[in-house]
Amino acid sequence: MRMTIPVAKVLAALLAEPDAARYGLDLMKATGLPSGTLYPVLHRLQDAGWLDADWEEVDPATAGRPARRYYRLTAEGVTAARQALAELRALTPKAGPALGGPAGAPAW
Amino acid sequence: MVTRRVAEALLRAAARRWPVALRDDLRREWTAELHVLAEAGQRVRMLRFAASLATSRAAAPLVDRTVWRRQVRRTAAALLLAPPACVAIVAVALFAMATVHGALELRFGWAQRLQLPLFSMLCAGLGVLLAVVVARAARHAVRVGPPATAVGVGLAVAITVVPAEVALLDDARQLARVLPGVLVWLAGLTLALWAAATLARRGRLRLAWTVGVLAAFAAADVAVVATVVAAIPPIDPGQPVTELPPDGVDRISAPLWLLTCWTDWSFGFPRPTDWERFLITDLVLVEPNFYLACTPYALTWAIRTARAEPAAPATTAQAMA
Repeated sequence: MRMTIPVAKVLAALLAEPDAARYGLDLMKATGLPSGTLYPVLHRLQDAGWLDADWEEVDPATAGRPARRYYRLTAEGVTAARQALAELRALTPKAGPALGGPAGAPAW
Repeated sequence: MVTRRVAEALLRAAARRWPVALRDDLRREWTAELHVLAEAGQRVRMLRFAASLATSRAAAPLVDRTVWRRQVRRTAAALLLAPPACVAIVAVALFAMATVHGALELRFGWAQRLQLPLFSMLCAGLGVLLAVVVARAARHAVRVGPPATAVGVGLAVAITVVPAEVALLDDARQLARVLPGVLVWLAGLTLALWAAATLARRGRLRLAWTVGVLAAFAAADVAVVATVVAAIPPIDPGQPVTELPPDGVDRISAPLWLLTCWTDWSFGFPRPTDWERFLITDLVLVEPNFYLACTPYALTWAIRTARAEPAAPATTAQAMA
């Protein structure tokens, strides 16, 4: 997995709540990434086996909206992401805030 | 409304830049997110969401060429070998039916009535077994869109069944009576596969099976009706009564003709009569059972290859984000 700033931002957002299901719009909000950057990153993380994607179990007729797709880190992904971010942090100890994590939270 | 249409058009353009295997899922996912923004009245965010996807670089998986070639070979093998397997199934079922009938006919009076149901059950059973094998092959198949899947299966069946009919019916007149019905079935089957694959790609698997089975049944039924109607005249009420029943078939029982071909039974209805059943099954004996042998594998292939999982591992392009 080639670590880039968008990848690190996505991993940081996912690691903030590793068990939570996150939708594309949530992740865009958490990372500040545009959709055109976010979705290729999500796709790349899925290919690497770090991320699982599932469809929301909702009846579109009842809910009045289509089912959304949510993402969650795999067990392997949690370990690998923590390690990758720790390595990145060790390389650039002062770069955290520049990556723009959620307000009041570390960037990763 | 206009904003949403523009955003949806941008999403369609964005999806086209991704690999075929991912497009439907991505479009579905993005449309769902767009809906959330639309409900919140965030029109500018809708446009930004869609425009960013439409203008950014997509994550194109670089499929290993060796893997890809293996997939192509497996796909071609499955598509080209399954229809001859169906012909073999019909031949084996005919042989088994004849053997069983030969062993029973002198001892049991009902052995005669057993022939067609036994033939049909063997074709259906062996057809399902073939579908199980094909389902395994479908996991490693090249994934294409529903139209290409349906046409691919239809063409593969056509290049087997048409020469098989020509070989079986060396009489040109008989061939001209039967072949149009087979072509009707092929067209109907292709449409059925198209519908089933489209639904399966959208994740509606149960509906895909239901629609696929019903549409394939309708295609086979229409094919049998078309063949019989073109070849056997209707009953003429003014025809003089003779000792022999008229060489005609009353159209009122047309929807039952396919089932009659499979079961040699009229399901308690007055028509088709014994004589009409004889005329129908004399004209189309093998074809309805070929349809029965083919349909399970064809539907299985269309639905399994259309499902959301990627067919093979892929590695993502390094250039990203």
